[in-house]
Amino acid sequence: MTTTRILAGVAALLAVGAALMGSPAPAPRGGAVDVAALAREIDREADHVTAVELAQWIRERKDGLRVIDVRADSEYAAYHIPSAERLGMAEVAALRPSAGQTLVLYSEGGAHAAQAWVLLRAAGHQRVYFLRGGLLDWMEQVMNPVNADARVAELSRYFGGVPRAGAVPEPGATLTPASGAVARMRRRGC
Amino acid sequence: MTAPLTETGALGAAGALAAALLVGIAFGWCLERAGLGNARKLVAQFYLTDLAVFKVMFSAIVTAMLGAFWLSRLGVLDLSLVHVPETWLLPQLAGGAQFGVGMATAGLCPGTACVSAATGRGDGLAVVAGFLAGVLLAGAALPRIAGFFTSTARGVDTLPARLGVSQGAVVLLIVALALAGFAVAGRIERARGARRVA
Repeated sequence: MTTTRILAGVAALLAVGAALMGSPAPAPRGGAVDVAALAREIDREADHVTAVELAQWIRERKDGLRVIDVRADSEYAAYHIPSAERLGMAEVAALRPSAGQTLVLYSEGGAHAAQAWVLLRAAGHQRVYFLRGGLLDWMEQVMNPVNADARVAELSRYFGGVPRAGAVPEPGATLTPASGAVARMRRRGC
Repeated sequence: MTAPLTETGALGAAGALAAALLVGIAFGWCLERAGLGNARKLVAQFYLTDLAVFKVMFSAIVTAMLGAFWLSRLGVLDLSLVHVPETWLLPQLAGGAQFGVGMATAGLCPGTACVSAATGRGDGLAVVAGFLAGVLLAGAALPRIAGFFTSTARGVDTLPARLGVSQGAVVLLIVALALAGFAVAGRIERARGARRVA
């Protein structure tokens, strides 16, 4: 058998093994979470997306995108990001996203979504992000951006938002049909 | 110790530059030893008389891919620290077409042109001068073509995400394609008399 054939055989074996393994992520030892790897992701800010980035993904119909609202049912019913589905924390923890899916989690301010991110990343899911600043950032940066550049302003109008020029609007000011929900959030805090 | 050492900071900035230099020299040496510093060798693949370029490059891809997958699986390499370039569909298609025309015309791509120039070949030096001039011209023209440069953004667009399958499945697919390609390339070379360029 020639060296070439031996090397081809080794490559084929390694490739079949890779297909059986599925993911190149190492299996957690004894169920332990690789907290160092998660910490590096957080340091590199690879754990979240901004509201404008998420808006672009939704508008472009990014393949495999799932936007998940982890707030309460009533809050979701009052307002949610277009295309978002609502899941409780227990349902999020039980998610088994396929390799092609990208999950973006959001809550009011981001804290709950960040916790959900940790749960999913600890379970080994790779393409998981949370919305930085939560729904509040969505409202401020997408639905009611102030002095936004043309690209963001156009994106805002796509989602039915009202881009504004000039001073930052007072909290609670009625800008879009959805902003009432945000005003309630601000009063309650996040 | 977890790789990539340049990203974890284990090497430091100077160490990372030194490592880049060493890896570059090693890569160039391999290209030269494979005969890829010779434009005739590269052009021969377009005439289907010597498919060494195809085999060398596909071997490199398969080796790197299997290495990255298994080193990650064994916990030696942190793939989350490996940069994956974003996709801008139309500008990259245009760039790829331009690259292909340049490569077919010159018989060298940037890497092999550097190897060719390093071994004192005049055509290699000319191609290096040409692509450096192209880089400068493109940089100077950037304000005018910035709109096109940033059009059709697809973000990080990978085969596993696009196909909806695992990364391991894509590894198997690429290796199967490579092995089938090598077999076909061997048959083509034998059928055409394998006029290898030294």
